[in-house]
Amino acid sequence: MENDKKTMNFLTAKNRLNKSKTHWIGLFLGFMLFFALPLLVQSNHYILQVFTHALLLAALALAWDLLGASGSISLGHAAFFGAGAYASALLGLDLGLSPWATIPLAGLIATGLGLIMGLICLRLRGAYFALATLAFVEIPWVITDNWDSLTRGSLGLVGISGLPSIRIHGFHVDFGSSIVVSYYLIFAYFMILLGLVAFVHQSNIGLALQAIREEEIAAEAVGIHVNGYRLLSLLMSAFFTGVCGACYAHLVRYIEPGLVYGLHFSAVPMIFAICGGRLTILGPAVAAMVLYPMDQFVFHPLLPAGHEFLYGAVLILAMLFMPNGFWGRLRNAS
Amino acid sequence: MILLRLKSLNKTFNHFCALTDIDFSVGEGEIVGLVGPNGAGKTTLFNLISGRYKPSSGNILFKDIDITHLKPHAICRLGISRTFQSSRPFPGMSVLQNVMVGHVFGKRSSLHSRPENKQAAKELLDIVGIAHKADAPAGRLTLSEQRRLDLARALATRPKLLLLDEVAAGFSPVLVKQAVELINRVRKRGVTLLIIDHFLNLSLKVSDRLLALDHGEKIAEGPPHVVMRNPEVLRAYLGLRHESERD
Ligand SMILES: Nc1ncnc2c1ncn2[C@@H]1O[C@H](COP(=O)(O)OP(=O)(O)OP(=O)(O)O)[C@@H](O)[C@H]1O
Ligand SMILES: [Mg+2]
Repeated sequence: MENDKKTMNFLTAKNRLNKSKTHWIGLFLGFMLFFALPLLVQSNHYILQVFTHALLLAALALAWDLLGASGSISLGHAAFFGAGAYASALLGLDLGLSPWATIPLAGLIATGLGLIMGLICLRLRGAYFALATLAFVEIPWVITDNWDSLTRGSLGLVGISGLPSIRIHGFHVDFGSSIVVSYYLIFAYFMILLGLVAFVHQSNIGLALQAIREEEIAAEAVGIHVNGYRLLSLLMSAFFTGVCGACYAHLVRYIEPGLVYGLHFSAVPMIFAICGGRLTILGPAVAAMVLYPMDQFVFHPLLPAGHEFLYGAVLILAMLFMPNGFWGRLRNAS
Repeated sequence: MILLRLKSLNKTFNHFCALTDIDFSVGEGEIVGLVGPNGAGKTTLFNLISGRYKPSSGNILFKDIDITHLKPHAICRLGISRTFQSSRPFPGMSVLQNVMVGHVFGKRSSLHSRPENKQAAKELLDIVGIAHKADAPAGRLTLSEQRRLDLARALATRPKLLLLDEVAAGFSPVLVKQAVELINRVRKRGVTLLIIDHFLNLSLKVSDRLLALDHGEKIAEGPPHVVMRNPEVLRAYLGLRHESERD
């Protein structure tokens, strides 16, 4: 008994996924809810579109928080998002590659950009790191804006192919053909990323990142290659953010530099992660799934021009009253 | 055999000489006490050996490998581990996890399975006497428990050379006695120790040799009773007492 209790405590401390029964049941119900959503809303185009975007933003928040887990706050993830979106769109438009190829390639290109950001910014900490990443976005943005022959410049790209289709043994699904299938493709990506993030957190990588975040000087003194792990978390984060950007490009089928490199896609994952709980696995995703639909269904009709004030207000409230995010708070309470 | 060799080590912080021309060697299996008044440069010397700071000039050899320019994690993996003057636990992890971090990352060859690591970590907590706190968050420990945790985590990296910074400062006589026993147990595991001991409540009991620093300079080295009778050492310590009486 005593031993069991010890193991339990060890697990809760160790894995940020609380392994209690209620947690798994909640997770399962959430999964079923989103799995059945197209049926529940009878394939209502608008509702599904909002939730497809919510899932994509949830994935973006998860990707952002892979770096967040190392203790670094990035204000520059739009660099990876935009580069991913442009890379996938251009590879499709100019080389005629299938999105199945261009989406992972976009992730790799974003990872390359992550390497450059790492070499420039990772020597900094705290607010200095955050500000450096904010400035870093300008690099891919300016390049995209001005390299007209490659990127069509500030005009943006139109006619991007939709999400890809699959064909297995005569079974054929075209993910771009309707919002329902697009929804399921993004849902699948979100679930895969969630699984990967959970895996990273309970692996030695997660342990190293937690040590670095909590006490960097002790971490290096017990043999943790601090900058190596910080770079690794940045690269993973950049890859999945690039994939999110690529999915976005094929989902919306129209991009321009100001849209994909703008502050929006840097700020939103940070806001979701901080509101939901930066140090939890699910918190950032749950925040995205709650806040984005709320923004679209409630605040957008009320305040068409300034609906995004919601994000600012929620961020300030969270920082004032729930510095661990609402998911972190819930977890601590239980 | 010489385990650690310091060769005319200098460290300056913005023209302030924290350490001047330190030459010193530590033999394998020895326990060396590092003594000196506040600001003598003791902790700075540890920061140089463990790679946290780089020396302004001079060299550090460990097992005849030049480690002067290695990063702290690499130095740890070669077999030098340390504790901190004010402990630095990972506050959000459990006590047991703190020690497991040492096991997992301390040595490249430490690809043990989780349960094995856990067992070894529990044994270390037992040795330092905080096994009953294994599941407590490390941030909630008392100061003396945090020092023990620091020590257990350092031992978990399986060091050849262990640097202890003021492990027994502020300890009651009972705790000091426990610390002496603990250090002897650590030595039996084949660990060489360098112990900073400003208040001299530990090193006189366990050290084979003392190294005395003052104002960043080596003022004496040798057997404890000889060093403690050295006039310069007395002056450094008595001078300190004078000052502290005045304010
Ligand atoms: N990072 C630093 N920057 C500037 N000066 C420093 C730094 N670290 C140490 N010093 C200075 O170097 C001198 C030696 O400091 P050190 O901490 O090594 O002393 P110490 O012998 O450990 O003293 P104590 O017994 O108080 O711990 C002090 O004057 C201190 O102010
Ligand atoms: Mg000191």
